[in-house]
Amino acid sequence: MRMNKMRADVLALLFLLPFLAVYGLFTIWPMVKGVQMTFYKWTLIKKMKYVGWDNYSKMFHDQEVWAAIWHSAIFVILTTPTMIVLAILLAMIANRKSRLQKLYRSVFFLPSVLSVAVASYLGLFVFQPYNGFVNTLLHLIRLLPENREIFWLTELSLSWIALTLITLWWTVGFNFILYLSAMQDIPDEIVEAAKLDGASDSVIFWKITLPYLTPITKTIAMLQIISSFKVFLQIYIITGGGPLDKTRPIIQLIYQTGFRKNDLGYAATMSYMLFVILLVLSAIQYFINNRKGANA
Amino acid sequence: MWKWIYRIVSVLFGFLFIAPIVWMLVVSIKKEGMKIVTLVDWFTPPYSFAVYDDILSGTKLSNWMFNSFFVAICVTLFTVAFAAMAGFVMSKLPFRYKSAMFFLVLSGLLIPGEAIIIPLYQVAKDMSLLNSYQGLIIPALASPVAVIVLKSFFDGVPNDLLESVQIDGGGTWRIFTQIMLPLNRPALASMAILTFIGSWNNFLWPFLSVTDDNLFTLPMGIPTLMSQYSEDYVKPMVVNTISSIPIILLFIIFERQIIKGVSLSGIKG
Repeated sequence: MRMNKMRADVLALLFLLPFLAVYGLFTIWPMVKGVQMTFYKWTLIKKMKYVGWDNYSKMFHDQEVWAAIWHSAIFVILTTPTMIVLAILLAMIANRKSRLQKLYRSVFFLPSVLSVAVASYLGLFVFQPYNGFVNTLLHLIRLLPENREIFWLTELSLSWIALTLITLWWTVGFNFILYLSAMQDIPDEIVEAAKLDGASDSVIFWKITLPYLTPITKTIAMLQIISSFKVFLQIYIITGGGPLDKTRPIIQLIYQTGFRKNDLGYAATMSYMLFVILLVLSAIQYFINNRKGANA
Repeated sequence: MWKWIYRIVSVLFGFLFIAPIVWMLVVSIKKEGMKIVTLVDWFTPPYSFAVYDDILSGTKLSNWMFNSFFVAICVTLFTVAFAAMAGFVMSKLPFRYKSAMFFLVLSGLLIPGEAIIIPLYQVAKDMSLLNSYQGLIIPALASPVAVIVLKSFFDGVPNDLLESVQIDGGGTWRIFTQIMLPLNRPALASMAILTFIGSWNNFLWPFLSVTDDNLFTLPMGIPTLMSQYSEDYVKPMVVNTISSIPIILLFIIFERQIIKGVSLSGIKG
């Protein structure tokens, strides 16, 4: 648009003002303030004492912090590949022409609209021993003998499985939709031509469908890694971080340090560590995506 | 043969996705205190809606649901409006420091809310925003993602079109509200849907900033209720069901728009 320079500056400022005001006060300013907090012993009622680099040196030797970061990383490792495979599988189901096509699409997306608390509590009860849905279902179809129970949420490896399954069920809907629309963008002529040449379904999937899905897969993988690293409420509700703090993610530790142990300064220091980790993850991802100018 | 395997796998996944929700609904209308041994017991009468009355009259659940909707609607409207205004000038107006501005917004994409939540608490406390609707809503209104996405959609509107309106005497505000916004309705709807769902599920900030249970949103309120119901299945499932019905109804009504909104977000994301 053409206009005189002064006028453009003033107008731009007016249009930017609402966004900038909120962004400045509640994102940029806390970001700066947080740096200051990491150098203090800082309590909820704002008793402050300058401690220099103490919070940092404490953090690097704190086993609880490294354990919590590792738990968040486990959650990333468990959820990211399974999320991508499941989302592609569901998209293939819903992309196939059939009378149930629309129904599948609704059913796969439906859990995504539930509140995180509802999804988590539903998961908690679904995986209860004795009367929970999963165990009674396994009894019914005779996969689990009547006199045995699986204690999903008190045994460490099983609780990771339960957390992963609940998270996949609750959040796969978004990625499923992204894959479904990517699949529908694949030109029909290409698939038809391949069929005429005698390509089997599996060849079509590996040689045509999957390559078409590569760009969106990169995006989904990146978003999934970052959002899984920030997991909190599902784990807080379903296992409480247990058994014995062995599933406690970093955000839960930050919360407990700040608000239960009344140590906002140390909690802020951990937040910055989290920030740096996420920054490094994004940078690695960015580097991989742009290696060959591959990001379409 | 393969066709049948395909069908069976499809039905199996359909079942696995819908079953927990159906189970939730059925358990919620089960009469309290019945002995449950097998899965079939859950799905057989007697049924009763008595617990629904107890929960609706005896708890603040409906209050919290109102708060969740109120906060999510406010956050959605203002976030999208602010982001559209910012995205518009960044796309179409030639102003000083434009590239610096773009860089500032872009760097916001890298700052996760969780990483600044502790200092944000202190900032909100200093501004007396804790325990208020303003405190729940205002800090959430700046979304750099929405600015960047909307800017990239606005970039697609040809400049010639805007200039021809300008020649006809249309002001900047008119160009914004009568051309840019209507032309980009699908993108705006997509951002609105994602913002709404994000706010609807926001837990950490309300959890830290609000202690008055009249201001709880659903994700915070539900855990405080549930912790009172150990060993019981019916009450928790009633709480879950009541909390989910409005959003499920909204999903059924707006399914087409929601699905389109989500898939659109993947294009520029």
